[in-house]
Amino acid sequence: MLEVSNLSVRYGRHLALEDAALTAGEGEIVVVLGSNGAGKSTLIKAMAGLVRTEPGARVMLEGKPLHKLPAHRIVDAGLALVPEGRHLFGTLTVAENLMLGAFLPRTRDKADESMEKVFAVFPKLKERLAQVAGTMSGGEQQMVAIGRAMMTCPRLLLLDEPSLGLSPLLTSELFKALPSIAETGTSVLLVEQNSHQSLAIADRGYLIEKGVITGEGTAKELLESADVQKAYLGG
Amino acid sequence: MFTNAVLSGLTLGGVYALVAMGLTIQYGVSRTMNLGYGEFSIAAAFAVFVMFGAFGISPYLLAILVLPVAFGLSWLVYRVMLMPIVRRAKSPLALEIDSLLLTFGLLFVIMGIMLLMFGSDYTSYSYLSVPIRIFDATVALNRLASFGAAVLVGAVAYWLLMHTRTGMALRAVSVDPIGARLVGIDVNWAAGLAFGLGGAIAALGGILISTYMTFTAEMGVVFTMKALIVVIMAGVGHVLGALIAGLVLGLIEAFVATYLDTGLTVAVIYAVFLLALILRPQGIFGRVAR
Repeated sequence: MLEVSNLSVRYGRHLALEDAALTAGEGEIVVVLGSNGAGKSTLIKAMAGLVRTEPGARVMLEGKPLHKLPAHRIVDAGLALVPEGRHLFGTLTVAENLMLGAFLPRTRDKADESMEKVFAVFPKLKERLAQVAGTMSGGEQQMVAIGRAMMTCPRLLLLDEPSLGLSPLLTSELFKALPSIAETGTSVLLVEQNSHQSLAIADRGYLIEKGVITGEGTAKELLESADVQKAYLGG
Repeated sequence: MFTNAVLSGLTLGGVYALVAMGLTIQYGVSRTMNLGYGEFSIAAAFAVFVMFGAFGISPYLLAILVLPVAFGLSWLVYRVMLMPIVRRAKSPLALEIDSLLLTFGLLFVIMGIMLLMFGSDYTSYSYLSVPIRIFDATVALNRLASFGAAVLVGAVAYWLLMHTRTGMALRAVSVDPIGARLVGIDVNWAAGLAFGLGGAIAALGGILISTYMTFTAEMGVVFTMKALIVVIMAGVGHVLGALIAGLVLGLIEAFVATYLDTGLTVAVIYAVFLLALILRPQGIFGRVAR
């Protein structure tokens, strides 16, 4: 359902991402593993239309080309991003943040239904609807950010290092939620440094290094591979 | 004397609050500073002055005609003049500086056109200048009506911002433009809408004040500066704060004029502004979209 090819991003003279290609199937969880500065965030931002891509890039979601659309149209086409730093509406309430997720006409009628889906995954949010989002803890804010993205009724959910700044306990709680999102038919693509926990819930994975995708395999293969062991899993 | 000062302070402050609200909506949502803001007030005042003189129609009815035009022109200013610099801006700060320079030019263009058409003399007209007694003071009916209209429009605009989907989208853009794009809001659409709304509110402020104060083609910058002081004092994007700070500014002006000297009003306002900046650089109410 997702096919990315020839995706390159240049920051001035620096080539941050070179000819990236990847795919994701319906309901699949795919993880892109890489260290700091490997180009993970750039890859995901390029797909969401937040950074300019070089000519020739192709991002196809269910047969629709996304690479020529501005960011807000990409959301409408079914790709939602939970960005690094979350970019919540910090001074607005949790309820307002979630309702803004259902801003697009396509998603408005389904807002109540989507809200129930969010509560099914993150029951905690139901009690916090009136709280101002900026006053929540990091883990709770991450839940609101994912919830807000779910409200856009995405076909593909992109997550940019959701574990960043969270305790191991909160991270595993958050990662446990992802399969339940994928079960509803929404594909999930996340970029992570946290290899153990992300490979545990993923179906497939890619390795990225210095802006180039250097390897791919099923989650099981990657967990057992000697290269991955050495580079990402600490021996 | 005290009641007089309170009354003239509140009536003037009501209009300041409204004008500042328009600027904070423009600035908060579009992140571009519009130095030509006050020119919209003066241009609207002249438009109403001319039509009132020609047809004798109430300025309040004329406002219904002038406001949509102000909205459209202001929207055009954003789409034609500012969008190109929004596209190429490398950082939010660069955008603010570029927009300051560009709208500084806009200020002189609009002012120049008005000077050509109306000259630099003080202009005024008489509408509803009927004295009304309140307690031990008298206040002109046109001042009271202006205050009423400012409060009404300010309250309606505030309600729309807080309780409609579009209002919520505007606030979302003002809090986090990237977050807004990620939920599918077209940020350029929102900024254009905010610019149009701000321009219409500026025009209304100019019309209301013109019913009881003299004005000149060169006075737009005074409107802009006072609105800017209120916006920065309250905290950028803080609509309720701008309404409150605007009222307070009007009261300070009236009290200084009554008990000290009319010539000192601007100096005292800047002193208060300076004090607010030193004590609360992020604005008295902080930077929130409430």
